[in-house]
Amino acid sequence: MTEQPLSLRNLTKKFGGKIAVDDVSFDVKPGEIIGFLGPNGAGKTTTIRMALGLIKQDKGEVSLFGGDPGPRTFGRIAFLPEERGLYKKQTARETIAHMARLNGMKARDAFPLADRLLDKYGLGEAKRKKNKDMSKGMAQKVQLLAAIAHDPEFYVLDEPFSGLDPVNQQVLENMVREIAERGRTIIFSTHVMEHAERLCDRIILMSCGRVVFDGSIEDALAKAPRRLVIQSDDKKINTILEPFATSIEERSDGALTVFLKPEKEAFAIVEKCVKAKIRLTRFEPKNPSLHEAFVTMVGEDEAAKMHAGVFA
Amino acid sequence: MIPQIDLRRTYLIARRDFLGYIKTWGFWISFLMPFVMFVAVFGFAQLNINIDPVRYETILDETGEHREGFLAYEKAGQRNIEWNLIEPILKANEKTDDEIKAYYELHQSKGMQPLYDAKITGIDPSIFDKLESRSRIIEPPSQDIEDLKSYLLGEKFLAIDGASQPLDALLHIYMEDGKIRSDYWTTNINNERLKNLSNRYFQSLLKEQYLQSGGLSSAGLSQTIGRAPRTKAFNPSKASSGDQDDQAVSDIDRIPYFVAGGGALLLWLTIFSGAYMLLTSMLEEKLNKLLEMMLSTTRLSEIMLGKLLGVAALTITAMLPYIVMAIGGSLLLSMLNAPGIAEALKAAVSLKLVIFFFVFLVIGYVFYGALFIAVGSLAESMQDAQTLTTPIVLVLTACVMVVPLSFRSPDSPLLDFAAWFPLSAPFAAIARIPEDPPWWELTLSAFLLFLMSILVVWLAGRIFRYGVLSGAGVKSVSTWIKRVIFRRKLEG
Repeated sequence: MTEQPLSLRNLTKKFGGKIAVDDVSFDVKPGEIIGFLGPNGAGKTTTIRMALGLIKQDKGEVSLFGGDPGPRTFGRIAFLPEERGLYKKQTARETIAHMARLNGMKARDAFPLADRLLDKYGLGEAKRKKNKDMSKGMAQKVQLLAAIAHDPEFYVLDEPFSGLDPVNQQVLENMVREIAERGRTIIFSTHVMEHAERLCDRIILMSCGRVVFDGSIEDALAKAPRRLVIQSDDKKINTILEPFATSIEERSDGALTVFLKPEKEAFAIVEKCVKAKIRLTRFEPKNPSLHEAFVTMVGEDEAAKMHAGVFA
Repeated sequence: MIPQIDLRRTYLIARRDFLGYIKTWGFWISFLMPFVMFVAVFGFAQLNINIDPVRYETILDETGEHREGFLAYEKAGQRNIEWNLIEPILKANEKTDDEIKAYYELHQSKGMQPLYDAKITGIDPSIFDKLESRSRIIEPPSQDIEDLKSYLLGEKFLAIDGASQPLDALLHIYMEDGKIRSDYWTTNINNERLKNLSNRYFQSLLKEQYLQSGGLSSAGLSQTIGRAPRTKAFNPSKASSGDQDDQAVSDIDRIPYFVAGGGALLLWLTIFSGAYMLLTSMLEEKLNKLLEMMLSTTRLSEIMLGKLLGVAALTITAMLPYIVMAIGGSLLLSMLNAPGIAEALKAAVSLKLVIFFFVFLVIGYVFYGALFIAVGSLAESMQDAQTLTTPIVLVLTACVMVVPLSFRSPDSPLLDFAAWFPLSAPFAAIARIPEDPPWWELTLSAFLLFLMSILVVWLAGRIFRYGVLSGAGVKSVSTWIKRVIFRRKLEG
């Protein structure tokens, strides 16, 4: 249990001469919940595939539970790939039990477990329903349950929230929390920032095949420009603000958005205004968002892809 | 290097593939169809239902000389058909020549009834009733040809046993310019029974008249022809106790060729259908996009072997009705007093045939199965799969073409080559077995195929990984081929 689940060193992969993953290195420590973020084509899925030994890297090293990925680690990992699908003619319980058995569980345990999981996650009535007769959301939940039924040490979930409605996204979020409470290690990719903010201890951001950020949410947010919304009828306010701001934008309601310089603090503006006897009608420091942090780190174009929710 | 295999996981993959098909309606319909067909045909036979309607025909003989002779000729023909079936049954019942002669005379004079009364095993009314002609030659309802035509046209009907029946055909015999004319009238132009019978009757009549003009008879001619020596075939390689007759060739001696040829065709059918099922299974796997998830928990070699085994079990299950019916048919032949055929069948299914049938079935299936798996992993749709498998299907079809050669020219150099060539070896080697090739030849041929299969399985594994995980498809294959060919051209 104390073995490091994953360690990637200088991973590089090219497809047809084009670099998909470029010199990627990071570690996943036991018990961590990691959000793996990045826009379409950033190289997340390729990195995950290499991490699990599904495809060979051109350069670099992968250490999964202290060794090469492969049969040694079977049963210790739950992998939900980005591309979803099920055997159409299998029933939900057969699908879950089949994967659980492939992961080492005995048939006499696998089928009752499948029934319990289906009951627990609101699919009790669909137990004996064939996968082809299920809605997309139901089928997606069945596949997720099939991937995680054997309750391994390390969960690798590629875009688990994509395609789920808000209610099921919440169910999945709760599921991830439950898994984390059992001390399991989780890495999941997502384009929904709120999920990452709510669930993760740490985020890894990829862009153009490279890791552009690896750290805590707080560290990521620190990368975002701090801003505040300020309003006053006094025209001198701009003169007061200029030394504090990297930029000032006028809003449609007449207020100003001030992007603070890194070394400046918002309360200092208030002090200056008091001294200058400028009456403020509005003063709202804004918390930075992850999206703003990403825009800072990867640029507007790459961030726009994420914002559109188009992910690889 | 031999790939490592976890038997449990392999079994689970095989089980899922097997059950995936077994649980479908389509499989059970296909599985039960041979039995249903057998029961239907057997039941139909038992019910003694003749699908041909009774046809009413008539003869308008204006000469007044041929009607009786014609009817006698028809009756004699019917008797001959019956006797050709009765004689082998009497021989199988070990009747002496004198007894057979007595039965012949009885049959010629009184028909089948005395033979039924004799209760000879195998002479069953239910079988012979079907031989009875469905055509009834009736008295003409009119002596006027134009009036008779209105019966043919359905304007008038015959009254037969209180029911109205249509007239099906009319044979009109008359004199014209001092010569006999015979016209056949019918609206059912595909039924020419009466016309053909008429032609044979007149030919027979003229033959008889000609012979009589020389003081001869047709019975005498038949007797003379019957004394002509019959050329007997012998096979010097056949075991003999010193008596030349032991080496006489009969149709029964050809049974091993039919059995081996049938075995080769069964092998081809099994391999082909098995490989095709593998292709669809592989395609389903790829389209389902479950492979990635499975590969995080199962070796590639286990998935491939599991699929091969699952579909093999499925193919054998699908073939089961035919195997059961073949065994049942052989047993039935033994029970139906055809001991010669049953013995020959037993001898034809030699140890060599059985062993190499299974050896070539397994290796051939792995060989072609791996090829189809590789193709399936590259395809993205059934259309893709069909395009990619066309060359393999053509090769498979060309390979089975050598099987008929084993009947015509078992010593053909092409058949010899085909038995060594890995692609055709499974079918040609089995088809050659009645020629008794040495064990080492068959073993070496199987070994060559085995080596080739290892290469194909390795290659299929590479393509599988490339096709499934790198998203390669038909386009990438054609691009690769173009690139390689283009490069070669540049270099050349």
